[in-house]
Amino acid sequence: MRRVGWLAWSLTALVAVGLTAPLLVVIAASFNPTNELLFPPRGLSLAWYANIFRRQAFLASFRFSAALALASTACSLVMGLLCAVVLVRHRFRGRQLLATALMSPLIVPQVVLGMSLLIFLSTIGLVSSVIGLALLHVMLTVPYTTRVLTAALTRFPESLEDAAVIHGAPRPLAFLLVTLPSIKPGVVAGAIFAFVTSFDNFTASQFLVWDRTTLPVEIYSYIRTENDPTVAAISALLVLGTVGIVVLVERWVGLETLTG
Amino acid sequence: MEPRGAGPVAPTAGRARRGRDAALLTLPAVLVLLVFFAATATIVVASLSVGGGRWGLRHYLRLCSDPLYLGYLWRSFRVALYCTPITLLLGYPVAYVMARTTGPVRMALTLLLVVQFFTSYVIRAYALILVLGNNGIINRTLLALGAVDRPLKLLYNELGVAISLVLIAVPFMVFPIYGVLKNVEPNLEAAATSLGADRRRVFWHVVLPLSLPGVLAGAILVFLFDLTAYIMPGLLGGGYFDMAANVIYDQAMEVRDRGFASAMSMGLLVVTLLMVYLSNRWGARVSERAGE
Repeated sequence: MRRVGWLAWSLTALVAVGLTAPLLVVIAASFNPTNELLFPPRGLSLAWYANIFRRQAFLASFRFSAALALASTACSLVMGLLCAVVLVRHRFRGRQLLATALMSPLIVPQVVLGMSLLIFLSTIGLVSSVIGLALLHVMLTVPYTTRVLTAALTRFPESLEDAAVIHGAPRPLAFLLVTLPSIKPGVVAGAIFAFVTSFDNFTASQFLVWDRTTLPVEIYSYIRTENDPTVAAISALLVLGTVGIVVLVERWVGLETLTG
Repeated sequence: MEPRGAGPVAPTAGRARRGRDAALLTLPAVLVLLVFFAATATIVVASLSVGGGRWGLRHYLRLCSDPLYLGYLWRSFRVALYCTPITLLLGYPVAYVMARTTGPVRMALTLLLVVQFFTSYVIRAYALILVLGNNGIINRTLLALGAVDRPLKLLYNELGVAISLVLIAVPFMVFPIYGVLKNVEPNLEAAATSLGADRRRVFWHVVLPLSLPGVLAGAILVFLFDLTAYIMPGLLGGGYFDMAANVIYDQAMEVRDRGFASAMSMGLLVVTLLMVYLSNRWGARVSERAGE
C-alpha cells in the first residue's frame, strides 16, 4: 500500500467500525429472547421475527412500499431514459434549463417538499390516494435515472444505432435492440437508485400517507411508541436484503457503476 | 416515438424536428416537474395568506419576532456548521485510502459504503440508538472497564443527534472526494516526494488542492443533509433536541398552522438555495484553480 500514512489508516478504520458496528449490533439484538435490546443477546430466539408476521401493519406496509417502489422505478426509468435521449442527442434552446429543472426536486428540503405537495394536492382535492406518493417518488427518482442514463448514453457511440437504421431498422427498434442493451449497466444502476430512494423515503412521504403507510413510516412510529426488538428483526432482514442486492450488483455490473 | 432525421443524413430537416421531438419525449417528466413547481409555489402563497382571502406578512413577522422558532432555524444552521467539518475530517481519509489502494481494501470499503448508502436512515438511526443508549455497547463497555461510574448521556440530547448526523452523512462526503482523488495521477505525489517534499507537504500542497472540487461537492451535500435533517433529531433527539424540520412537521401536521409552517419552510428553503448558490460560485473558482 503505497504512501498512505498511519493517520489516514486509523481514521478509516474508525469510520469502518463506526459504520459497521451499529448494524451488527442490530442484527445481534434481534435474537434477544426478552423485550430487552441487549448486545450481546441473552440467548438466541426467533420470537421477534415471528412477531413481524403476526403484526399485519408491518406486512401490509412492506407490500405497499414494495409496490410503490416498483411502480415509481418503472415510471422513473422510462422518463429518465426519454430525458437522457433528449439531453444527449438534441440541441435546442432551454436544454440547460431542462437539465437544471430536472435536478431541482433534490435541492428542496424533504420536509418542505412533502408539505408543499400535501398543501397543493389538498387544494385540488386529491388527498388520501396513492397518486400523491407516486408523484413524490417519481419526482425524487427521475433526477437519478436521468443522470445515470445521460452518462451511459454519452459514452455510447450513436453511430452503432445509425448503422442499424441504415440497414433498415426503424429508429425506435434500433434504439431498443442496439442502444438499450449496450447501456444496460446504466439502466441497472438507475433502477437500483430509483428503487432504493423510493423504498427508503421517509421524511417527505410521512406527509402523504393516510390509513395506508409505507414501511419506513410504520417503523419510525413503532420506534417512537413501542420500541421492542421487532424493529431490530425487520432492520436485520432489510440490511441483509441490501447486502444481497449490493453483492448481486457487484457480480452483475460492478459496483463502479454505482459509485461513478 | 417518431424517427428523427439522423444528424449527418438530413441536417436541416432534422433541426426543425428536434425541438418538437424534444418537447414530446420530455413531456411526462415535464408534467411531473410542473406539479413540483406548482407545489413549491403553493408554499409561497400559503406563507403569505393570512386567512379570509387576505394577504400579509403576519407569518413572517411572527417567525422573526419569536426567538423560539427563529432559534430552531439557527440551531439547524449551527449544527450543520460544525457537523460538516467533522464529517469531512472522517470522510476524507476514507476517500484517500480508497483512491490509493486496490484489491480487497478498496472493495471492502466500497461495499461497506454502498450498503450504508442504501440502508434507510430510519434503520441506521435506530441502530445508533442501540449503540449509544444507557444499555448500549459503549456505556456497558465503559462501565465494565470502570472508566465511568454511571452511563454517559449519549442519547436524547445534542451529542447523540450530532454523532448520528456525522456517521450517517459520511458516505455523502466520501463518494465525491473519492471520485476526484482516484483520477489524480499518483505519480504527482511521487514526483513531489522525489523533489524533496515530505509527506505532510505533499498532502497540503499537491493532494488537497487537487481534490478541492470533491471536498466542496461533498461538503455542500452534507451541510444540506444536516441543515434539513428530520429523522436523526426525531429518533436520537427523542423530542429533546428537535431541529427546524421537526418543528415544520409539527406545525403543519399537529398544530395545523400551515401558514406558519410554510413561512418556516421558506426560511429553510432560502438558506438552502443560498448555500447552493454560494457553493456553485466557489465551485467554479475552485475547479479553475485545481485545473491549472
